[in-house]
Amino acid sequence: MKLAELQMRFQAGIVEDDNAILASIADSRRTDRATLFEVYHDAYRLRLAEFLSNDFPVLRVHIGEEAFGRLVEDYIESAPSRQPNARWYGTRLPDFMQETAPWRRNRSAIDLARFERALSDAFDAPDAPISTIDALREICDEDWPRLAFEFHPSVRILDLENGTAQIYAALAEEEEAPATQQGEEAFIFWRTDGQSFYRPVADDERMAMMEARRGKIFGDICALLVFQRNDTGVTQRVAGFLSQWFADGLVTRLSLSD
Amino acid sequence: MLERIRNTYPIVMHGVSMSIASTAPLDFDYLRALKSLASRFQPAWISDHLCWTGVHGVNLHDLLPVPYTLEALDHVVDRIRRVQDFLGRRLAIENVSSYVTFAESEMDEWTFIRELAERADCWLLLDVNNVFGSSFNHSFDQASFIGAVPADRVVQLHLAGHSEAGTHKIDTHDQPICEEVWSLYHEVCPRFGSISTMIERDDNFPPFDELMAELDRARAVAACARIPAQGAAA
Ligand SMILES: [Fe+2]
Repeated sequence: MKLAELQMRFQAGIVEDDNAILASIADSRRTDRATLFEVYHDAYRLRLAEFLSNDFPVLRVHIGEEAFGRLVEDYIESAPSRQPNARWYGTRLPDFMQETAPWRRNRSAIDLARFERALSDAFDAPDAPISTIDALREICDEDWPRLAFEFHPSVRILDLENGTAQIYAALAEEEEAPATQQGEEAFIFWRTDGQSFYRPVADDERMAMMEARRGKIFGDICALLVFQRNDTGVTQRVAGFLSQWFADGLVTRLSLSD
Repeated sequence: MLERIRNTYPIVMHGVSMSIASTAPLDFDYLRALKSLASRFQPAWISDHLCWTGVHGVNLHDLLPVPYTLEALDHVVDRIRRVQDFLGRRLAIENVSSYVTFAESEMDEWTFIRELAERADCWLLLDVNNVFGSSFNHSFDQASFIGAVPADRVVQLHLAGHSEAGTHKIDTHDQPICEEVWSLYHEVCPRFGSISTMIERDDNFPPFDELMAELDRARAVAACARIPAQGAAA
């Protein structure tokens, strides 16, 4: 048999429980070929389960050992790993839960999975040098409306069911988790000094950040918020967000658009 | 952090993702990243395993065995040569623990490895625990394996612990090094002279003192193996 064919069968034996490969394997002196091949078959599932347990420890506590075991099994059987790096294997888990019964009915579990994924994604995002608040001080007043921002690659914004962050914080500390409530709240996630952080953001900061990330300039962001909120204190408030973004280390570059 | 370590110590790069024996195309994105990392850190060598990790875009996250056939030998030799050309340096190829013997195999593992090293002109990394585990799993003689390995090509030895499954031994890197592996290490050390040894431990970590004790023991074995060699040279 050609090497390519043998490797295809070997892989099918692991991923799809197809036992055609056994014809190419010899029994050992101590045991039969099926038992020996099972080492590879089982190791694949154990490893993937371990990757998921490492990436979603709080979700595991939240839904319990048994349900987590079923989720892991469903996820593994849904598609083989295509990631050379173990870290990216679980990245589709929240989407999988959203698309698949019975998980799609469990909003709090889905959002907790998204929360944990955002923390790991922020942790693993590429490096980029942070811009300090001094860069902002160098901008003269008439240039402010033309200010554009670039954000650190680790920054993520998520809309989560109310209470998701409290569940995460409680379970991570091994305390009793509160229940989630109706409605949503927005959170940002990012990494500074090798550590992931998160904090809630109010509606207007969320919008300002979404627009800024899309490349909107300061003047346009303020105008949008004035229009939305019919409020004249907007410029002050957006300037406040800005200095917080610098303090958190979210901004990598300021530029003036023409 | 790696830069700080590199400033004080020599480093080597040891990988599990090259999939050198796969029939899937070589992953040049991976090789480019590897090459740029190597140019930054100037490792003493880059090693990976004589194995494949998947085909058709799938990754099985394992070091899967090859059949020891002429076809596989040609294939792997060609791939090692291409990777070495691309990286501009020799690779060190490591023997893995395997659990199955292919009916297709036409030669012993050690013949395959010796041929491969000569023809690809690569270095070798000899994992002592993998020789021990595979010799148990496939009932071959450890001495035949060790004796066939071209000593001048071996740049490093690995020591590790494994799990017992009764009828076979599984390379899990989560146990202390067993006595049989220590004694095999004792036997092989004089043959390879003063080369580096690495202890692999990936999981189920004991207190730091116990790891240090294993390291001290490995140093003692290696040092005692060097004495007669140095005496002969003097
Ligand atoms: Fe090894």
